[in-house]
Amino acid sequence: MSSYAAFSLYVARESGLHRLHPLTKLALTGFCLFASLVLPGAWATYAAFGVILLPLAAWGQVLPLLLRAAWRTVLPFALSLFLIQGFFWTGGTPVLALGPLSLKREGVLFAIQSTGRILLIVSSFLLLSLSTRPDALMIALSQRGVPTGIAYIILATIQIVPRFQAKAATILDAQRSRGLETEGHLRQRFRALLPLIKPLVLGSIVDIEERAIALEARAFSRRGPKTSLLVLVDSPAQAAVRWLLLLAALALLAARLFRAI
Amino acid sequence: MTRMTQADRIRSDFTTLTWVMIPVAIAINIAVGQLIYALKVPLYLDSIGTVLVGVLAGPWAGALTGLLANLIWGLSGLNVTYAPFAAVAAVIGLLAGLFGEAGWLRTWWKVILAGIITGLVAATISAPISAYVFGGVTGAGTDALVAIFRGIGLGILPASFAQGVSSDPLDKTITYLVVWLIVRALPGRFLDRFPRAENVR
Repeated sequence: MSSYAAFSLYVARESGLHRLHPLTKLALTGFCLFASLVLPGAWATYAAFGVILLPLAAWGQVLPLLLRAAWRTVLPFALSLFLIQGFFWTGGTPVLALGPLSLKREGVLFAIQSTGRILLIVSSFLLLSLSTRPDALMIALSQRGVPTGIAYIILATIQIVPRFQAKAATILDAQRSRGLETEGHLRQRFRALLPLIKPLVLGSIVDIEERAIALEARAFSRRGPKTSLLVLVDSPAQAAVRWLLLLAALALLAARLFRAI
Repeated sequence: MTRMTQADRIRSDFTTLTWVMIPVAIAINIAVGQLIYALKVPLYLDSIGTVLVGVLAGPWAGALTGLLANLIWGLSGLNVTYAPFAAVAAVIGLLAGLFGEAGWLRTWWKVILAGIITGLVAATISAPISAYVFGGVTGAGTDALVAIFRGIGLGILPASFAQGVSSDPLDKTITYLVVWLIVRALPGRFLDRFPRAENVR
């Protein structure tokens, strides 16, 4: 599965990170998500990012990709946070005055803390998606009891989104060539909404029936176990790591609650 | 005919056609998002597919569509910041199913009302997520609104809520109107294959 044909960032690499069981990587993402929400102070999330995620990304040979994607996602949030929470913080200690506005110390600290949280969440998701085939993740989840219908939805979506995006681009070109104004005044652009959305949605709903017949012909609604061509490798060590991540998350929560009391 | 229990009703909503419709609906959400981006109109319209499933296949199918749409968007690595809002998307799908059941998708003014209510509910649930996870900003053009609300002295959570209330109801009303127009354009023979076709007849 190449990364551009599917709606996924996955890149194939021969790395130990890629060979890990998908659930181990999912557990790590869950841990980072949890940690980003409970870690105290402004800098702890940056430390977690540097100590956990960067070495793993380097091990998985996806470090430049991870940094580039994380930068693109986090930067707009970071800019908004520093500008809005830094300058429009209610009260607070001014540290720098720019005309009528002043940068507040509390606002800047809040922006640093929020940016760190977003960075940790975004990068942990990126690490999972860069190093894990979506179909392998789905098989791992269905082996643990997630309904196969859910796995079907996720995999089918990943496959059809690029086709729909291409269809949307075709409709845009076709309507423009027929003289639809898609630029200019806001009212003109609003008027272009329906002629673009309607053919896309109607066209795709009409294929639903054919897709349903194709699935039924392949025993989609049959109950019982199904065989997969993709074999996943797990190990007792990885199971232990998953338990450790869960315990570490609980320990973080306990530490946070204890401190609060 | 014997009376259907709630569990039977849910099971009868999840036909193969419903399972197939959900990925198509999620792809619609994403592809329409791309068109909106090309048009540069200040809307999201990223729940058209979710509302459509809710109306045609019931509240639980709608909720599942919303939930998975945001999780897939997030886990694909292409729009990671959507994942924390999965619960909001699920509620949008659930509400669409309930409005459909109540027959609100048959009259234009009820369609508009459904959109406004959905927008208010969505703004209410997303504000705490936005405030706690993202520091109250969206990283997009709507942050100009957040700056104004912070500037007049609102706290982080109220500013985030005020931003939602000033943009979500319009967005969801247009979403509902588009869904209403689409459902009316579908042939009756085709609509009848969906589990909740009676919602729109």
